[in-house]
Amino acid sequence: MAYDATRKMEIEIIVEKISDSGKKIALPDEALDIVKLAGIDVPDHILVKSPGEAMEASAEIGFPLVMKTASTEAIHKSEAGGVVLGIQGVQEVEENYNNIMANLKRETPNVQISGILLQKQIPEATHLIVGGLHDEQFGPVVMFGMGGVLVELFKDVSFRIAPVTKVEALEMIREIKAYPALSGYRGSKALDIEQIVKTVIIISDLITNISTIKEVELNPLLAYEKDVMAVDAKVILR
Amino acid sequence: MYLDKFFNPQSIAIIGATEDPQNITSTIIQNLFEMGFKGRVLPVNPHHDKVFGLKCYSSLLDIKEKIDLSVIAISSSHVIEILEQHIGSGIKNSIIISGGFAEIGNKGEAIEENVKKICRENGIRVIGPNCLGVLDNYSNFSTFFLPWSKVKRPSKGYLSILSQSGSYSISMLDMLSLEGIGVSKLVSYGNRADVGESELIEYLTDDESTKVIGIYMESVDDGRRFIRASSRCSREKHMVVLKVGREDSGVDAARSHTGAIAGKYEVYKAAFKKSGIVEVDNLEEFIDACKVLSMQKPARGNKVLVLTNGGGFGVSVSDMCGSMDLDVAKTPSEIKESLSKHFPEYFILNNPIDLTGSSGDEDFGTVLETAFVDNDYFDAAIVIPLMPPHTMTERVVDIISQSAEKSGKPVVVCTISGEYTKKVKELFEIKGLPVFPSPGRAVKAMSVLVDRGGMHGI
Repeated sequence: MAYDATRKMEIEIIVEKISDSGKKIALPDEALDIVKLAGIDVPDHILVKSPGEAMEASAEIGFPLVMKTASTEAIHKSEAGGVVLGIQGVQEVEENYNNIMANLKRETPNVQISGILLQKQIPEATHLIVGGLHDEQFGPVVMFGMGGVLVELFKDVSFRIAPVTKVEALEMIREIKAYPALSGYRGSKALDIEQIVKTVIIISDLITNISTIKEVELNPLLAYEKDVMAVDAKVILR
Repeated sequence: MYLDKFFNPQSIAIIGATEDPQNITSTIIQNLFEMGFKGRVLPVNPHHDKVFGLKCYSSLLDIKEKIDLSVIAISSSHVIEILEQHIGSGIKNSIIISGGFAEIGNKGEAIEENVKKICRENGIRVIGPNCLGVLDNYSNFSTFFLPWSKVKRPSKGYLSILSQSGSYSISMLDMLSLEGIGVSKLVSYGNRADVGESELIEYLTDDESTKVIGIYMESVDDGRRFIRASSRCSREKHMVVLKVGREDSGVDAARSHTGAIAGKYEVYKAAFKKSGIVEVDNLEEFIDACKVLSMQKPARGNKVLVLTNGGGFGVSVSDMCGSMDLDVAKTPSEIKESLSKHFPEYFILNNPIDLTGSSGDEDFGTVLETAFVDNDYFDAAIVIPLMPPHTMTERVVDIISQSAEKSGKPVVVCTISGEYTKKVKELFEIKGLPVFPSPGRAVKAMSVLVDRGGMHGI
């Protein structure tokens, strides 16, 4: 297993807290905390609920940073004007906090907003997706593929029944059509396949071992020549 | 073993038995006679004293001897009453052929639930309802209600079929007979009220007369048990599945992309992979896969030698190999050098090897001995001997099959069917080499052997 019993317990505590509050979907910071505890690198982040909190938190995280709407309801954040990238200073944090809230009030008036997630902005890279879910018939399943907003359009993904071995995780990665682009295509450098394999195994173990999690997903998982990092995570409970 | 009585019963009671040719029980009984079934057949029907010369009982409760299995082919509305007689007469196994259960909606569902309850509470095991039941070629037993004069029963062999569909079962039997593939057992289990594929796979894992298992699946009975059973089974036996009903995910509440993309079929695919089962896409591929796995061993790698006397077929087979991850690797230079000593310059020795229309029987042997038997570079071979040239005779069958056997590696043959070629096909298959009538089917069959070779087990 990619994480020990203590970490498993810490994850269970977060999961319990979420379900005690009557929610089925974790807030973005909770989801990121869960996958981080499972062993996945994520950028520094803080969930804030007021412009003042936002300004304070931004000093702690550092710049540039990203501000994203946090809600447990399904919304298309970007389309609703709920995401701002490349924020360079405290002043901008305050302005954008108010802008985002105004946008959402206008675009999605009925959606309940839990706050705004401030997250350290990291360099662009290849977008991958790694997900896990509990199938009614076959139990835990893990998915790997090309991430981003077009994932449902291209469906360049592979599936395995979890838990997967290292060999199976590598097979999953090699199986997608875009694999040549990951392994070094026409002069581009290969991505960190070893870290991608590790990530697939972590998600596979997470969905297998924490039975209260129904779905978990890293999208996108940014993959570099060295290292990978999950920028967004979703966790849905049973 | 506990499902044995479904396959090798010493005595069976046929409920609703009659000689009326319009009634399916008459065909079931006549089929048993025709097959030479050795067990006792006990007709049950209050309206008759005798059926086909056999003493007919008015109730199961009137039968004093032990009954291993009942075959129920009466209206679903009377099935509960009959099952209740099972309790009194101690019958523990039943095949319910009748329809009119869950497949017709609420009313039938209620009856089926009742069937399940009675069986669960009284330890009665059921195959069906709404099915054909069982064929066992070793005990010469079947509950099929379609006459053997219209569906050809395959010879005794090592392939067993599990199917949720009765119509597919019958078509498969007919097709397998045509291909000369021997069958051990077939189970059509219909609505699967009790015994399903997972338990049958567990049973067949220990069945000595089963070496290949083909499954027609609409849905799985118990996903985790299926994976456990199949993973164990596929270590020793080849398994092929045709999955139909590939509907999208019905999970509309899912908020993650994973949930949205993970249609049920994707998860099934993953499950088959985990279980070591070769998946095929349609009935033709299913029969071909069962055939090739029954006749040849899996390939240890994907380097395929393509050998023909017809250039066009060499090229098209190579194209198709490429799209199925089979490697038509260039002939190594040492092999080319030694072949060039035997052949004129216009023979093409790069894989695909094209011996052209002027070659004959012996040339196929020369290539196979040099490039495939004496040299271990290639893992498998697709041989396409086109028969029309006058230099090609039936002797090519012995030549190719001898080399194939010596090599210890898998070989499939592709010949394009004509009247003369059909005879040659039969000769090849007597020698154990599977023949396919088109490049696409030959290549697909080879890819089954390569896929299987890449899995755990055999």
